[in-house]
Amino acid sequence: MVNPNRKRGGNCSGGSSRENRSNNNNMDAWEENTMAILDSSGFKDSQDVHDDRLCFLEAVRSASLASEPSTAPSWRMFDAVFQILVDCNSLELAMASYQLLTELDKRYSRVYVMKSDNTESSSNGIGNLVVVKEAWSPFNLASGGERTAKDSCSLFDSVRFSTLIEDMVQAVNKLSFDLVIKAVGNLLLFQYLVNVLEEDLLPRLTVYKETLNWLLLKESVLNILLGSRKLNFKSLVRDCMSILLKRCHHNIPNNLQGLRSSEDTCSQSSQDCDVGLSIAVSELEKETCVAIQKFFKLVMELDVARKEADMHGLTSRLDGFRLPILEIVVDELTYNRDSLPPFLVVFSEPKWKLEIILQYFSKYVTKSSVRTRRSNEKSDGATLAGMLNNFSTAANTKNIVKRVTSGAAQLLLAHAFQAYLSLVHDSKQIASSTERIGATLSEICNSLISAFRNLRKTDEGLEITSFAKEALFAAAMVLKRKP
Amino acid sequence: MEEPLDFEQEDQLVRTPLRPTNTNKRSKVIGLDDLLTDYYEEKNKYVHRKSKRLSLSKRDNSDEDDKSQKYKERMLSKFVHDCEKQVNEMSAEEEIPLWGHRVFGHQKSLPSTEYKGVADCQLLQPSSIGDLMSVFHLNEEQGESFLEGLLVNRWLCKLAFISGFVEDSTATWVFNKMLYSSNGELQVSACEFWCNILLSKDEADKPLVSLGWFPGYSQLMDALVTYGYLFDTSITRSSLSQEVHTDKPEGPPENISSWIKVISACCQIRSPRSIFSISEAEELLCIISHFSLDRELQGLLFIINECMQSLIIFFSEEEWDVSCKRVAKSLAFRTPKDLNCLRVVECVSVTNGRSKQLRSQIALQLLTLRFDTKVNDYKEILEVLMSVNVKDKDCKFFELYIYLVLVENFFLFHHLGEEKWVAIDTWCKFLRNCSSQITSTDWRSYASKVRNKASYILQTTVERSC
Repeated sequence: MVNPNRKRGGNCSGGSSRENRSNNNNMDAWEENTMAILDSSGFKDSQDVHDDRLCFLEAVRSASLASEPSTAPSWRMFDAVFQILVDCNSLELAMASYQLLTELDKRYSRVYVMKSDNTESSSNGIGNLVVVKEAWSPFNLASGGERTAKDSCSLFDSVRFSTLIEDMVQAVNKLSFDLVIKAVGNLLLFQYLVNVLEEDLLPRLTVYKETLNWLLLKESVLNILLGSRKLNFKSLVRDCMSILLKRCHHNIPNNLQGLRSSEDTCSQSSQDCDVGLSIAVSELEKETCVAIQKFFKLVMELDVARKEADMHGLTSRLDGFRLPILEIVVDELTYNRDSLPPFLVVFSEPKWKLEIILQYFSKYVTKSSVRTRRSNEKSDGATLAGMLNNFSTAANTKNIVKRVTSGAAQLLLAHAFQAYLSLVHDSKQIASSTERIGATLSEICNSLISAFRNLRKTDEGLEITSFAKEALFAAAMVLKRKP
Repeated sequence: MEEPLDFEQEDQLVRTPLRPTNTNKRSKVIGLDDLLTDYYEEKNKYVHRKSKRLSLSKRDNSDEDDKSQKYKERMLSKFVHDCEKQVNEMSAEEEIPLWGHRVFGHQKSLPSTEYKGVADCQLLQPSSIGDLMSVFHLNEEQGESFLEGLLVNRWLCKLAFISGFVEDSTATWVFNKMLYSSNGELQVSACEFWCNILLSKDEADKPLVSLGWFPGYSQLMDALVTYGYLFDTSITRSSLSQEVHTDKPEGPPENISSWIKVISACCQIRSPRSIFSISEAEELLCIISHFSLDRELQGLLFIINECMQSLIIFFSEEEWDVSCKRVAKSLAFRTPKDLNCLRVVECVSVTNGRSKQLRSQIALQLLTLRFDTKVNDYKEILEVLMSVNVKDKDCKFFELYIYLVLVENFFLFHHLGEEKWVAIDTWCKFLRNCSSQITSTDWRSYASKVRNKASYILQTTVERSC
């Protein structure tokens, strides 16, 4: 580990003129000392290596988060922390490294919006986007950039990112596990990467909306990551969907009581007991579903911005072309109709859920006779009110049910209504989705109820699902409370 | 090959200086080997002679070879036995258990979560939705199961937001489902419901839903008792298994993560004082921190930490100093005196001043509890540490390691005021002792850990104070 004779003294050189250099020296010495904790030379068993890694994480935490003034870890140290998460040798190390990385990201942001003090610009409310070039990132997307392949072997590029998701799909499809901890590691890793993508994209989007500067989004990690030719975006989206459809459920024994009685829990020999892993996995499954939805949401926001930039002529051929994620999702749901119900149940992000349903539905509505480029784009103008209008009379309903089937129709109506209800009480969300509604709350509720009456009229034997019944009940309650 | 080749003979100058050195070297190597073989042969002869003499002294030279053979065997087996004994002793000394402490014992039977006043539930009154009931047969699955459907499919939450209030009977029903239902889906949606309702606010920072009934400390504690939380940590694992109700499962049910999350949400509402008093929040903070010792709950570390942070913010600036000390003290009492001490300190994730203070206080309280001699403050602790002789054969390195880490944590986050420099000076002296007086070849367990840790802390302390 640390050689006590090394680096003693010599770091105390001060003087204002040399302050900068001495800071650098301090940084170097600190990096050297801290990295030395991980030095695995000498006589060490696996428990020692494990302890050393924990020690290292703790040392980084106390220097970079706890002490005053604190300094960001060097790239080498960041790499090492990330490597511990990637290796994922034990639950303890995985959780500790994930937590540390998350907290470091909070403290040392890579991208943020700075409201300028300049009164002139602040009156416009335009903030400046600050991109911290020196900040470490788990993504290595620059081709032949500063970071060579050698010192960034554990960092993620497009290929590794899609491999990670493929591994997650495999884990979900697996029937038995030898090493549950690897699955745990992948789920944590994915969550962390999605958080990094979000922290990078959101401030860029905020400034883009004010300035329409496409370059900001073009340089976002998400755009570069997905724009790579090495990545098969369509299969990546499909993989994510298949994880969502299974609710990320892993086939591991999760009967805690059974696990506890089958073995003398937490025996000394094993670092992680089965019960601990099982509790961890069931928590991570929920969080991964949220993370995948977050990932979809980010890509959808990016796609919308891209389309807008295209229309303003801000993009060029160099920007490349990628299918919008919404199209892929809707296509996938159209071709695999069985996946529609479970997908709608698990996908709860209201704004984009409504968007997906409207797009899906618009595929079945008679297109205007002249299909010019323009009218094709018209499908963007679909509203919830418009969708409900297709069920306004018995004749209309009969017409549409022929194409959509009554089962799918009630499913889509009920889920669209739920998404709408979620949007209604969120003032921020509703503002960005008003153009998708097209009616008042009570109008929507009334049309929903009459839509179901018409569905019943056209198909006497139609069995209303319990979800749809609950939707009707909710609509009736809303009408009663808000006359 | 020994003979010079034709062309070599022609060039005497090249050949002559080379050959002698070559031969010298070769003969030297052979000489060493010879010496060794000679030495072993000699030794063998000696042993042989000795055994011969031994056997001769006892008996006549019959079965002479056999005797010496047996003697050798006996010596060998004795030697092996001794080695084995030594190794066993060494490993017994090194066996230091990993951290890990059961904070949950046997569960008690979970109470029923049935909706008691379902007939009076305003929400389900048939008159409320007119003829829809009959048209769509909504009344088929009346009562609780319909309500469960509303909850699981997230309608109940939407309805609460639309109407702006939740009936008391429904509120308690959902809360009980969250705490006690063994149906995973129901339990998770119930938790989602409560977190959404508690955390919702409009632009004016006012809650969107007015509640007549709030979750309370006593309900949460009742749940904890049911989960089998060991309030009294003197109950050991062995005495646990002797308890009567062994048919009840051990360890917490899955609802524990909902329990943690809802406390987190309760602390983040506009007026958390309406839910917890100061002493209740202290107790909760202590319990939540205590959870981090259970290996079964490792996977929940992230939400445990979130909850700790929300609880820490609960206190006002004036209250915090006293409360922090109280929490630290009671946590230190609950923590076993082994590696768990380090785990409990390191699980306080330091992101702000308050969490630093908590970490430092816990370290101090653990230190004062660990020293047999009564110490009251850090100065006395340092004095005791300085009296430790690391060269001593019986020096307990494991204990020393724990002190080292605890004192480090105490110093990192503590504002010592004017005496700071004196304290740091003593501290550095102690660190120097550890790092220079323990040799790198000291194989005793934790000796190298103490040495390495001390030298690392020394480096960072010196750098920081420059």
